[in-house]
Amino acid sequence: MAAIDIPEVLKFIDSTPPFSGLTTAQQKQLLQGVQVTYARQGEKLNLTGDLATLHLIRRGACEIRSAQGALVDRIADGECFGVATVLEENPEGLQIVVLEDSLFYRFKRDGFQQVMQADEDFALFFTHTRTNRLRKLSRSEAADLATPALQLSTPIKQVMTRALVTATPKDTIQAAAATMTEARVSSILVVEDNKLVGIVTDRDLRSRVLAVGLSADVTLAEIMTKDPAYLGEDYLVMQAQTLMSEHNIHHLPIVDSQQAPVGMLTAADLLRHQELSPILLINQLHRQNSIADLVRVCRQFPTLVVNLIATDMPPSDLGKVIAAISDSLTRRLIELAFERFGRPPMPFQFLVFGSQARQDQSLGSDQDNGLMLSRTPTTDEAAYFAQISEFICDGLAQCGIKLCPGNIMATNPKWRLTQEGWKKEFINWVQSSAPSALLQASIFFDIRCVYGAQEPVDEVIVAMQAEVAKNSLFHATLTKSALTSKPPIGFFRNFLLESSGEHKHQMDLKHQGLALINDLARIYGLACKRYKVSTKARLEQASREKLLSSDVARNLMEAWDELNGLRLEAQRRHFQAHGEASAYVDPSELSPLERKHLKATFAIISEGQSAAQQRFARGYA
Amino acid sequence: MVKSMLRALSDWHQHRKQADTDWKNWTYMVLDMETTGLDPKQHQVVSLGWVLVENGAILLDSAQHIVLQGAEIDPETVAIHMITDQDVEELGRNQASVLRYLRQLIKGKVLVAHHAPIELGFLKRLWGTQPMPDLSVQWLDTLALERTKAERKGAIIQEGGFRLGACRERYGLPDYNGHDALTDALATAELLLAQIAHQPTSPTLMELTKAGGGLTRLQSKST
Repeated sequence: MAAIDIPEVLKFIDSTPPFSGLTTAQQKQLLQGVQVTYARQGEKLNLTGDLATLHLIRRGACEIRSAQGALVDRIADGECFGVATVLEENPEGLQIVVLEDSLFYRFKRDGFQQVMQADEDFALFFTHTRTNRLRKLSRSEAADLATPALQLSTPIKQVMTRALVTATPKDTIQAAAATMTEARVSSILVVEDNKLVGIVTDRDLRSRVLAVGLSADVTLAEIMTKDPAYLGEDYLVMQAQTLMSEHNIHHLPIVDSQQAPVGMLTAADLLRHQELSPILLINQLHRQNSIADLVRVCRQFPTLVVNLIATDMPPSDLGKVIAAISDSLTRRLIELAFERFGRPPMPFQFLVFGSQARQDQSLGSDQDNGLMLSRTPTTDEAAYFAQISEFICDGLAQCGIKLCPGNIMATNPKWRLTQEGWKKEFINWVQSSAPSALLQASIFFDIRCVYGAQEPVDEVIVAMQAEVAKNSLFHATLTKSALTSKPPIGFFRNFLLESSGEHKHQMDLKHQGLALINDLARIYGLACKRYKVSTKARLEQASREKLLSSDVARNLMEAWDELNGLRLEAQRRHFQAHGEASAYVDPSELSPLERKHLKATFAIISEGQSAAQQRFARGYA
Repeated sequence: MVKSMLRALSDWHQHRKQADTDWKNWTYMVLDMETTGLDPKQHQVVSLGWVLVENGAILLDSAQHIVLQGAEIDPETVAIHMITDQDVEELGRNQASVLRYLRQLIKGKVLVAHHAPIELGFLKRLWGTQPMPDLSVQWLDTLALERTKAERKGAIIQEGGFRLGACRERYGLPDYNGHDALTDALATAELLLAQIAHQPTSPTLMELTKAGGGLTRLQSKST
């Protein structure tokens, strides 16, 4: 009997290109001696020895990385790795990082080579795969990452703190606290017979000792977290992060094979590696004294973003980092404006709208902003605010945050209003309910204060929310106008049909995907009692206030992350190739795994739209 | 007498020492049976399917599927495993020769099955029908391994959650449609690899046996 006689194996081989194109005899030859293996998430496979042969993923997902750790490709069910080890001797030292638990078919090297020689199409497929990956490799190396910030596949031992601070279970709380203070650490490992038996953190000292009035003479054995979660030093940062978020802990002891502690990994260690460059950039921004200098510093900005994308920072974190940088830049420009034109004659707020307010900007976002003045200005005062607005918006533009094509900027006198003026505008928008007016105004409903006192802005938001609550027609109109854009569900069918024709399909991930989720989140967000501005926070709040089922909310949040991840990756690629960002994606550059996710993502948006339709626009046909 | 006891003791000792090494040092024979029912006393084995695991990998070439001669097929179970009286007549192997073959195969290997007591029960029954040497079988049960894991984690598993398909789903293994002995043997072998990969460190055979296995003696027909 042979592998080919097992129905489930044959069925899979027969439905997976290029294997499906082989004759039964060739399939049989290829399957001779095939082995099935299983690998866990986070495992690293060096393609040497037994592994230096062709592998087919039966189920799972992996990354192909260069010896230096650069990402070459992401692959999943029905895709192969190990091609380079058979065609050549794996000159780039490619290795595999397992992303999801995976089941592999491992083929015999000589059988594969024989079938390659006999079948031209089959051989062509693999040489093409090989060329494709080499192209991707050279592209990712060309990215020239300044410092390879934290990569998920970095081993823990490169990141952890090695200086160990330990105590025994018999030590008193007092003694341990003294040791911790002296060593300036926020946790202490409890060790007995050279084995890790517990951990005590600052938080434990607060909650388990001080809060309950426990004496400082009690031993650590009584208050420590017994048998804490730990990892071996050869595990990867990715696994540490997963474990820490699963257990909701900030301190992870690292042990050797004998379970003796060798180091400590804290959330701060992870952050330090991840956020080194953005923090540096923000510090630099604060020290610049002219627009020209700011422009110079901001030239690093796109490269920084590209680096962060390449290090797999989650999209929502990346959005926050970019927002923090834009906010700092804006505030520095406001200070420079004061130096140039004098102190302001009255307190005011600098407001941002749209993506900067939602904290989901990316490369090439434009600016949307306005001023809120504490009273009606005199002619001179109005001239002052016109001057500083001109200075700030122009400065932002020179630093790479483009002017708003719709003229929603502080330079436009229409958007330099008093608190009463802003309230009136919002009430106007809510009451008019004319779809065209709403479409233009929707961006104002995403509002955040970047400079000045927060309270007056909160008061405007409260007034706006109250008005919204009174007007169900407004909600219906907002919903209907948002639902005129549908996700491109039929896209994939067309893509499959016309991939060989002349029509080059390009998809706009921002307007055909992300914007739709942002619209949905705004509709729900405005119906919530508590105002939130970022898309994910709005969805979460809506689910908490029971306006949206937690399933749909979670799916939409995941879809948003997924689309944002793809958009950022597309921008990174485009930026590296052409020097400017584009949110368009060519589906032929997506892996089957990404395509599969994308398709599911659009279906989720569709589902969210029907839910919104049901809740807010029913009966308003 | 003393000599043979001593030899038995030293064999046992040797075995124990070996069982305390990495699981990969052993060859596993993952077995599934199709039977006419669950009770070895009144039901019969229709077919056997198995696949070997060596050096931590499933050898697909080792897969075998054998239909046993003489089994009467209940029309109701035909729907499940698709083996008919006609198949038994045409493909059925002589029970005695199949058992001798099985004995050679199992010897020195670790037998693995999902819910092993059933397979062991039928093996015992089959052994008792033939005059041949007794055989000690070291075995693992993927269902017992799963139950131990759930108990350790304090996880509550719903009714039906220990069925082969449900266990596989928890490890992200693909859904298999067929339920013939061969497909289920392969499915069980993949489940075993996944269960082992999910242990914090590569286990020894002894550790696996403690979590879900044992040693059973198959006694032949007394002569």
